[in-house]
Amino acid sequence: MTSIQMPQLGETIVEGTILKWLKHEGDAVVRDEALFEISTDKVDTEVPSPVAGTVTKILVDEGATVPVGTIVMEVAEEGAPAVAAAPVAPAPAGAAAADAPPAPAAEPVGVVVASSIPAPAAPVSQPAHVAASVPDRGPRSQILSPLVRRLAREHSLDLGQIAGTGTGGRITKNDVLAVIASGGTTAAPAVVTATAPDLGTAEPAAPPAAAAQPIQLGVGDEAVPMTHIRRAIAEHMLASTQATARAWTLVEVNVDHLVRLRERVKDDFERKHGVKLTYLPMVVRATVDALQAFPDVNARLDGENIVRHRLVNMGIAVSYDAGLIVPVIKGADGMNTVGVARAIADLAARARAHQLTPDEVQGATFTITNPGPYGSVASVPIINQPNVGILSFDAIVKRAVVVDDAIAIRSMVNISMSWDHRVIDGELATRFLARVRQNLETWDFAEDLGL
Amino acid sequence: MPRAAWLLRPPGPVPYDAANAAMHRLAERRLAGEIPDTLILLEHPPVFTAGRRAKDDELLWDPASVQARGGIVRKIDRGGSFTFHGPGQLVGYPIIDLGTTPDAGGYLRRLEDVVIGACAELGVSVDRRAEVQTGVWHGDDKVCAIGVRLLRARVTLHGFALNCDTDLSWFAGIVACGLPDRGVTSLSELTGRAIRVEAVRPSVERAFASRFDVAFEDAPDEIVEAFTVAADVA
Repeated sequence: MTSIQMPQLGETIVEGTILKWLKHEGDAVVRDEALFEISTDKVDTEVPSPVAGTVTKILVDEGATVPVGTIVMEVAEEGAPAVAAAPVAPAPAGAAAADAPPAPAAEPVGVVVASSIPAPAAPVSQPAHVAASVPDRGPRSQILSPLVRRLAREHSLDLGQIAGTGTGGRITKNDVLAVIASGGTTAAPAVVTATAPDLGTAEPAAPPAAAAQPIQLGVGDEAVPMTHIRRAIAEHMLASTQATARAWTLVEVNVDHLVRLRERVKDDFERKHGVKLTYLPMVVRATVDALQAFPDVNARLDGENIVRHRLVNMGIAVSYDAGLIVPVIKGADGMNTVGVARAIADLAARARAHQLTPDEVQGATFTITNPGPYGSVASVPIINQPNVGILSFDAIVKRAVVVDDAIAIRSMVNISMSWDHRVIDGELATRFLARVRQNLETWDFAEDLGL
Repeated sequence: MPRAAWLLRPPGPVPYDAANAAMHRLAERRLAGEIPDTLILLEHPPVFTAGRRAKDDELLWDPASVQARGGIVRKIDRGGSFTFHGPGQLVGYPIIDLGTTPDAGGYLRRLEDVVIGACAELGVSVDRRAEVQTGVWHGDDKVCAIGVRLLRARVTLHGFALNCDTDLSWFAGIVACGLPDRGVTSLSELTGRAIRVEAVRPSVERAFASRFDVAFEDAPDEIVEAFTVAADVA
């Protein structure tokens, strides 16, 4: 079985309209024969079949507009077993895939402000049996009214087990009442209450019996002694907030073309360079350029002097089991995106393996933190001393934005900076961030990926 | 090292149907790998063409009026809305193999670059307005329309239409490119002097060769004849 997708016709093209099905279910096709015609905002074309075989399924209506990558048709290859023999049709994957937000950068990096909070569990790792036993989970099945939630709670129902009949698979009050009326409880609560596995939140089980000294504990409280690293982070953060005049500025960045680019080349990139392609190296590159354009941001305050650094040593906040650490990419100003990606992968891996040398966590001239993988859309980090700024790169999300007085769907990200008002003023901070944004929105990173 | 490519300059105004058919045949041959990338540069007699997104009410003249003025109307297979082709307009149809992972957006930007570069050679400053629409603009007025189709998601069809000394009154017959509040202009109007197709073509050829990294050679006679012979018949 070969799934035919809405094809990628270029980075800037995010969706296409099925103009006409040229082949229908049951039709035989030869390789390279046109299957359907599409129209995009840039070009029209007909999509050829990558295989010879028989059209088994058409998943989208003529006239429908779907995101690039959506599976729209299935073709059974010549010689493959006939599909009619298999009554269990695969659930249409297209809609769900299309709804999924773009994969966040995979680098595990720290939320500086919130570093005392254990890393949250991975987003929504659903128990496998749920997907298996409920065939049609529409894109809106996660949207629940308070009434539905209350009914489910009162009757101990697992909403993951109820097929919604509302728009887009939404579970309605009637759906829940029907289950209750049928006397049903939903099965398998055991699996559901077992939450997603702890992903290295890493407080070692059972801290050593603490405390001879008396601590006031309420009912259900427990006292956990600070680790050495926790104490160091606490002192560092408090010292920074006390020593700096912190202000904060945020810009919105359209990263649509970066998302397209990454989707297009990530496999080739990993094959060729041995590390995953995330957005963070691109942000580092864009930031390095801005630091060179505005050297007062790549600086530290030393007594009465502002010391500007000509070279860029980029600190990257990385969370690991012991807490937070900021390894430094030395000489980031001399690296292309591939070099930055390799350096980040290496430093992050060794940070988590507790193998960084002291030299590798010192000497940052500026710092970037990337809490986005956990879904935050804006963060106010504390400045990593003695830097005068720290840039936060949050989650990339698809948003409705106004482009030329029309509403369009774009992959957007908030990039913000906490900055030290002793050294930087608002105009400089804003121009610096505008430069970062302009770089991310206009640079063609394709040429920088060594492919 | 630039790749070899063919340049086709069929003489005289080439009737739309003949050129359209010959262009599609060349694209099929390009897809089959029988011919190199090719640029066709020509002029058409007056014709309104309607792309896939054209709405009927965007043709503002009734067919009889169009015919009375010596024009025709054709529905064609490119994307986009209505546009006009006619004498004084340099039409370019690049037949380019974009490969199995085509970047249509990048291709359109390259076409824009070609036209922008050619106009710069002529001392006319124009720019892209990607946020409005593909094409080349002077302010709010479009000087060059661009509309493209891909054959089998791979080989380019149709192309660009650069107004040199086009009779712009024709554009009153349509909502050009589906944009009622934008205007149309020509190089002659922008410069205040007559700039003919012949004066623009060499600049377009140079800019195209540079931007697409090709070295032009003239296409074999029988290829060019496909346009002229068909033109005679039509």
